[in-house]
Amino acid sequence: MTQGQSVEKILVPFKSVPDPYAGAAASTSKSVINPFDEIAIEEALQIRERGEATEIVGVTIGAPAVDEQIRAALAMGIDRAVRIDDARALDPYAVARILRALVEKESPQVVIMGKQAVDDDSNQVGQMLAGLLGWPQATFVSKIEFLENKTRARCTRETDGGLEIVAINLPAIITTDLRLNEPRYVSLPGLMKARRKPIETLTCEQLGVTVRPMTTTLSTSSPTRRAAGTRVGSVEELMAKLKQEAKVL
Amino acid sequence: MVETLVLIEHDRRQVKRPSLHAITLAQQLGGEYALLVLGHGLDEIAASLVSYGAAAVIVADDPALAEPLADRYATVIAEVARKRGTKTLLGTSSTFSKDVLPRAAALLDAPMVTDVLAIEEMDGSIAYRRPINAGSMLATVKVEGDRRVLTARATAFEAPAANVAVCPTERFLFDAASLPNGVQFISREQRASERPDLTESRVVVSGGRPLRDPETFERLVGGLADALGGAVGATRAAVDAGMAPNDYQIGQTGKVVAPELYIALGISGAIQHLAGIKDSRIIVAINKDPDAPIFQIATYGLVGDLHQIVPQLIESIRRG
Amino acid sequence: MDFAWSEQQRELLDAVGRFASKQLDYDVIANDRDAVFNHDAWKKCGEFGIHGLPVPAEYGGLGMDPLTTVAALERLGYACKDNGLLFSINAHMWTAIIPVLSNGTEAQKKKYLPGLCNGTLIGGNAMSEPNSGSDAFSLSTTAVKKGSTYILNGSKIFVTNGPIADLLVVFVTMDKARGADGLCAFLVEKDSPGLDVSKKIEKMGVRTSPMAEVFFTDCAVPEENLLGKEGAGSFMFTKSMTWERGCILASAVGSMQRLLETSIRYAKERRQGGQSIGKFQRVADKIVNMKLRVQSARHMLYHCAWLRGQREPVYMEAAMAKLHISDCWVKCCEDAIQIRGGYGFMVEYEVERELRDAIGSKLYSGTSEIQRSIIASWLGL
Repeated sequence: MTQGQSVEKILVPFKSVPDPYAGAAASTSKSVINPFDEIAIEEALQIRERGEATEIVGVTIGAPAVDEQIRAALAMGIDRAVRIDDARALDPYAVARILRALVEKESPQVVIMGKQAVDDDSNQVGQMLAGLLGWPQATFVSKIEFLENKTRARCTRETDGGLEIVAINLPAIITTDLRLNEPRYVSLPGLMKARRKPIETLTCEQLGVTVRPMTTTLSTSSPTRRAAGTRVGSVEELMAKLKQEAKVL
Repeated sequence: MVETLVLIEHDRRQVKRPSLHAITLAQQLGGEYALLVLGHGLDEIAASLVSYGAAAVIVADDPALAEPLADRYATVIAEVARKRGTKTLLGTSSTFSKDVLPRAAALLDAPMVTDVLAIEEMDGSIAYRRPINAGSMLATVKVEGDRRVLTARATAFEAPAANVAVCPTERFLFDAASLPNGVQFISREQRASERPDLTESRVVVSGGRPLRDPETFERLVGGLADALGGAVGATRAAVDAGMAPNDYQIGQTGKVVAPELYIALGISGAIQHLAGIKDSRIIVAINKDPDAPIFQIATYGLVGDLHQIVPQLIESIRRG
Repeated sequence: MDFAWSEQQRELLDAVGRFASKQLDYDVIANDRDAVFNHDAWKKCGEFGIHGLPVPAEYGGLGMDPLTTVAALERLGYACKDNGLLFSINAHMWTAIIPVLSNGTEAQKKKYLPGLCNGTLIGGNAMSEPNSGSDAFSLSTTAVKKGSTYILNGSKIFVTNGPIADLLVVFVTMDKARGADGLCAFLVEKDSPGLDVSKKIEKMGVRTSPMAEVFFTDCAVPEENLLGKEGAGSFMFTKSMTWERGCILASAVGSMQRLLETSIRYAKERRQGGQSIGKFQRVADKIVNMKLRVQSARHMLYHCAWLRGQREPVYMEAAMAKLHISDCWVKCCEDAIQIRGGYGFMVEYEVERELRDAIGSKLYSGTSEIQRSIIASWLGL
């Protein structure tokens, strides 16, 4: 690892999503930070704790209700947060355009964010933001190391074909995969400190960006459930079913 | 002008079969479509694509494209789409297309729909059906604007039939020197496997946390897969525990498979995993917990200790 | 009268609930069988901020009022099934941290409280002796001043956290003739010469909380480790016992709430004679009783903590809360087992352990009989 001056600022965009582990039985759906974004926050914190970054700024888009997730991010340890006040159902491209405006305002050297939000599962925003800014990107990343006085980062990517290693010039966008780290939990001292950290609220107008979502969800439905099959009592019975009934062997 | 441009993925030796499934979606959308392939040394790959009913196979072949670096690929793809007046840019869902196409969408100022399962006609325009929330819900979405980018779930569309008509191959010329240079390829993990590709295999055997360690995982999951000539998959828990490499992961954030036969060993059936397997034709679950949710969707369920059952099963298959 | 939580209290309690359900909902069966203390969970609780809840920020704590503190411990008890861990935490908080915080010198507080708050130091309390239990002040462990040290001799039993403690608050007598007025307390570090800790003692319940006998043989303690003044021991002990009685069963209220919810679920799912057993009045009655007990126990817990927050004396309220909650906890466990029938008797169903854990609550921090004596005396009897 080359020693050198640290990355001045890491921007971590995060999304508030319904708790994916609440289970179907949960009557009240609690919101949480998108788990992939939580990994991004953790990574930024670890980078700062290694002395390789100075400031971590979080950003999310939504109504005042998402302040709860902002406070959770502040309690994890990010330095300050921006909420872009927009309660509309935005599509990934609209989100990317808003984030571009914020990136231009904040000028971070690195943007780290989850590879996808677990509610929408689109997996688009990071790549779109990189495209809009003309910045390099490394997606689905499971390891980050800074190189050469923080002018580049070496990233291990999880791809369908196995692991791939690339180096990207900074500033750049990095999207996180599951195995990058294990996010820390919010501690009570962290929560108390978070109460004193600033949350800035901005509107799209203040950022000078006008977006209108181009994707609209017309309806949602439940997928047809697979019917439960039969229980078999032995290996012999299973083999017989696979051969004679299912005809797959 | 081609209405639809289909991005084809390859591994430098041959076309990745699932990436052809997007052609079927292109055919359903109607109108002319062209296939686009990027890389270096593509003659054979391009030749293998000429009989899928496309108007043309467009080849961007240059040393600068030898590795699938998103910034370069997206730039070239967007340029092709613009020059050809493409309305729909399309690929099959994979880590390759999900890396490159959203970036191309931004360059084209176009919205994007990921993981299309089906299309339907709605008030004279097309709506797309896609899974959300780990596949526990389906959303029907429409997009505005002249251009859109889509990825198709391979498991939701058949492989296209090859026909006798042959289309022309066109070389797309571009200024390689002006391509972005912000990403440098360093290395790729090369793991030789004799087993079929997870997303293409007729049979998939996959394992969860109860497999305990890489050796047991390979002996039982790998052993059963080999007996059946199938591919090996794993749950997130098994991958996290280091029992299997990351590209074995099946589920919401891993691969989606739909083989003829899926055998789940010691997999409880979290919705995040089920999201990746539920279109399989036959699902067999072997688990010692009779209440495991996997049994609610399994075609055949066998309650018991996989460490005893799987060797018997391998033996039984070997006997024929 | 306002029963609502403030926005900040709600946020803190939610964070405790999330932490406990994600980090502390582990399997306890094997640890209970083998009497294993979960050091990792202890460490997490320390880092998370549990131990320092009532301690001011300047000493490494969170400065929470007593009501918020017990409500947080209740959330912990709801999500964490390891009653032994919770018992160890309670012993640490009420019988080590509180005496240091209330009576320690500035130097003692600065030296020990930050570590006790973040869990890197484990505290315990050595009071009971073979011949002194409910008759708390008739101690035979002695301290004699010799130059700048005190020399301790004697033995202590039932020392919670004994085998793992870094710091023990030890009560001794300096003058048996003066009875309660002859007592004083010391902060004894684990490596002190002349201090011996026995192997852990096997118990019926809270088996994951290690307990030991402790022996002092010419154990020299520096004078700066005298806690409070010579002769102030009984006052300090009573004060810390009052804290302990009022708070130690906060997690039991959480446990009861969990038992109530799992029993309701079981009664809905378990079918006999073509209907769920919850439709049988005798089962439903048990569940209604459980509900009444949880609710009344919670109110007594909160009220006692609230009073303490108002700086009111709570000697009687703490005794009443301790008596009532321990009684309710044991009865809830019995009902939870009875509702499950034969299954409830099985280790795998995890209610028999809860009963074994609960029974101790009628014994420690003063038996139920002692609590009744205290209440009776406050009623002028």
